[in-house]
Amino acid sequence: MIPERPMFWKINDVWLFYTIAFLAICIFAVGVGIHISVWRKSTSKNKTSFSWQAVKQSIFEIVFGIRLFKGDIQAGIAHFLTFWGFIILLIGTTLLAIDGHVYPFLTGKKYLFFGLSMEIGGMLLLAGIIWSLVRRYIQRAPRLERRLEDGVVVLWFLVVVCSGFFLEAVILSAQRPPWTEWAFFGPLIAGFIPQATALSIYPGLWWGHALLCLAFIAAIPYTKLFHLVGAPAAYYLHHSPVEASEEPEEAIASGVQWEIAETAFLDACTRCGRCVQACPSAGAGEPLSPRDFVQTARHLLWQEHSPAGDIRFLLNVDGIEGDKAAWFCTTCGACMEVCPVYGAPFRAVGKKRAMLIEEGKGVPDVLNQTLERLFNYDNPWVSSKRDRTVWAKGLDVPVIKAGGKNDGSSPRQVLSRGPLCYFVGCTTSFDARAQAIAVSFSKLLKLAGMDFAILGDKEPCCGDIARVVGELGLFQEKMEGCSELFEKLSVSDIVTSSPHCFHTFLNEYPGSMFRVRHYSAVLKDLVAGGKLEPKKALDFTVTYHDPCYLGRHNRIFDDPRQVIRSIPGIKLVEMAHHGPDSLCCGGGGGRMWQGQEIRGEARMSEIRIREAHRTGARVLVTACPLCLIMLEDALKTVGFENELKVMDLNELLLQSVSDGQ
Amino acid sequence: MKEPQIIVCAKQIPDPEAPFSDVTVNVEKKQVSVDAPDVISPYDENALEAAIRIKEELGGKITVLSMGRKVSDTVLRKTIAAGADSLVLLEDPLFEGLDSFSTAHVLSCAIKKIGDWDLVLTGRQAGDWDSGQVGLILGEMLDVACVSLARSIKIDDGKLLVEKTVPVGYEVVEAALPALVTVSNEVGELRYVARSKMLGLLRRPMTIPKWNSKDLGCDVERLRKLQLTELAPPADMGRECTLIEGSAEEQAERLAAVLAELR
Repeated sequence: MIPERPMFWKINDVWLFYTIAFLAICIFAVGVGIHISVWRKSTSKNKTSFSWQAVKQSIFEIVFGIRLFKGDIQAGIAHFLTFWGFIILLIGTTLLAIDGHVYPFLTGKKYLFFGLSMEIGGMLLLAGIIWSLVRRYIQRAPRLERRLEDGVVVLWFLVVVCSGFFLEAVILSAQRPPWTEWAFFGPLIAGFIPQATALSIYPGLWWGHALLCLAFIAAIPYTKLFHLVGAPAAYYLHHSPVEASEEPEEAIASGVQWEIAETAFLDACTRCGRCVQACPSAGAGEPLSPRDFVQTARHLLWQEHSPAGDIRFLLNVDGIEGDKAAWFCTTCGACMEVCPVYGAPFRAVGKKRAMLIEEGKGVPDVLNQTLERLFNYDNPWVSSKRDRTVWAKGLDVPVIKAGGKNDGSSPRQVLSRGPLCYFVGCTTSFDARAQAIAVSFSKLLKLAGMDFAILGDKEPCCGDIARVVGELGLFQEKMEGCSELFEKLSVSDIVTSSPHCFHTFLNEYPGSMFRVRHYSAVLKDLVAGGKLEPKKALDFTVTYHDPCYLGRHNRIFDDPRQVIRSIPGIKLVEMAHHGPDSLCCGGGGGRMWQGQEIRGEARMSEIRIREAHRTGARVLVTACPLCLIMLEDALKTVGFENELKVMDLNELLLQSVSDGQ
Repeated sequence: MKEPQIIVCAKQIPDPEAPFSDVTVNVEKKQVSVDAPDVISPYDENALEAAIRIKEELGGKITVLSMGRKVSDTVLRKTIAAGADSLVLLEDPLFEGLDSFSTAHVLSCAIKKIGDWDLVLTGRQAGDWDSGQVGLILGEMLDVACVSLARSIKIDDGKLLVEKTVPVGYEVVEAALPALVTVSNEVGELRYVARSKMLGLLRRPMTIPKWNSKDLGCDVERLRKLQLTELAPPADMGRECTLIEGSAEEQAERLAAVLAELR
């Protein structure tokens, strides 16, 4: 007897099966179609050019589940098992259909091997599902939600797999073929089922299993299972190059308008909660949940752009309040770092902010005033431009003169000749503690013999605060102001104190013609090139706090660490959260300029200070004026002043270079 | 009832929050000059916010009145962007530097000229001189009920309900319309006006009525200038920072000693 599988063995009304299957696929296709239409309607830029590289990268990441293993191996394994179980069964069923309708090939050894693979697929799937259920409902992993959808979807999966195994057992019991040793579960259960019983329950069971499977396919676009389609789309869109538009009007609009990768992400989100776990604001007990934010954004987008409204039928997000929560985000990007589908919940927050700013209502009072001041005084600190260079008194720092260098050549050509423009930035210019950055950096540049100059009291605000709080019109004005000044003074090579100014110039000024670096890169080059020589040994342990806009947003992790390591005698230890997983100090995203109405149970900066204290380091080094202020304040409120010191990288390096002056 | 017609009086002043380095006091000329952009007096912004909230609830129309020798519509158009319906500028060289009584007279002429109104809102005081008189004098001239220092204003069934700030809390005052209310900061900040909205409004052609003393038919003889007898900068604006060292108890003790000495 040759092992084989008769199609629709003892099943009548096969036409009915095909009709239902066709319907299920139609329902699936309609659901996917609505998604694509919502994506298209809600986004302005549909220009995405096809990229093979993106396809390859996406497939690689999906097949190995790389983003899922990151930071959570347990969840990674559970998903890996479920994914591969599902894929094997999907391929198997497809082969079966080909065997039955196109070209029969599943006979003999091939059929036995096929059966074995399906058995393994089923087992992987079962193991994955059970592990997932255990994690969610027994271990109750804190980041996981237990909404109706979460239970129904997984239980549905479980019933499909179990009914599949049971069906196999019933068939084995009814047919009694001689090749049962090729299977594990089936024969085990088959032993308990008498042949007569098997024959009588078989048709009902077959139909039950078939309907559950078909309904499962139909339900994909209407539940969080949509990530089966949405996640690969989000991966591809993340990896494919986006054509940046250079129209300023569009730049304003793009703040509120979505990009297609962003909308795909909203629908690919399965509410896994990794973002909530990583969010420093949520961690400090503030009412911001990036996950809820994404869900609300998704829901609103669907209500606006789908003719049928939101089609997720097992999920109710109406009660989630998002307006106030929007002001808590520090835009640190920790959520984006851990998101398995490359989502950036903080960008959804940015859109919400832009909408609230446009409406004008619910803008926190201090922020409202700060933006007014930013417009009136060109800085968020209510300081006069007359005081911009107070820090430089007695230091003899050169100021760039208007028109002096402009000989009509393009900025690129001037690059090699003009002085390095030190863009001090508002916070570093005005804040008493942060001014130390400007002082020590200028001293270092002088010691290294660098040809540099500052913009003096003409230095404008780069607009970062306006951008991150959603005041895109004001950002546009600041950007134009800065760009015009740089052009007028032929500024072509800029170094900034703040990672925020650095990020803004580098990534948010489309088509800019100047080169911009953060001071840490300049220090690294000066030390490596021998222009700055750290001579004096500093015999203590330090730890380094990665500023979000230097590290996570711009991937500069090593420059500051190299500078620290170049100092003789110093020992660098890392905090629990460092590099891409660094923990925000709480000063970004406009949070520096918000009052009492925006606060949680704990302060993010205090949480960070405690973490630094646990390393046993004597000095906490950072490279951002906002981090410096936040952490210095926290040091005082927590009371570690005698054990720990907060220093800027410049201050530390200067101590070693200037031989202890 | 019919939808309320609200008039908000708004004064354009140099930013009272301007950084100290931008303010110069000329003792001889008795002039304070502020090298900063002009703004709408903050309490008047509170008054506008209160008016907009009433309009959101009941409908109606908000007219903003502003008086001066020369007022800038780029500053005052913010009121339209925030939600006012029309803006009337009262401009005349004669309107420069008027005292509170004369200012109230000019405003009362303008309000009578507008005619149809139910409620006049003013800030509790202007952010430049902080006299706090114009509102109540104006109410007297208009011969209507006046409530000062409002922290919340509601119109319910044709009646006015005001929560009025008093030193130990607030009183709830009821009054018939028409009425005048002076508004305090507890009402809340004026909603934020996005830059893009403001620019859109500035680009849009708009006819803003400008009335002078003749248009208003006000009694020019009664207009008197504010007389300054003396102007002096605060004695010492220098700041000194001393860090008190020691344990918490020692710090508290030393701080108490310092405070006692300064007293």
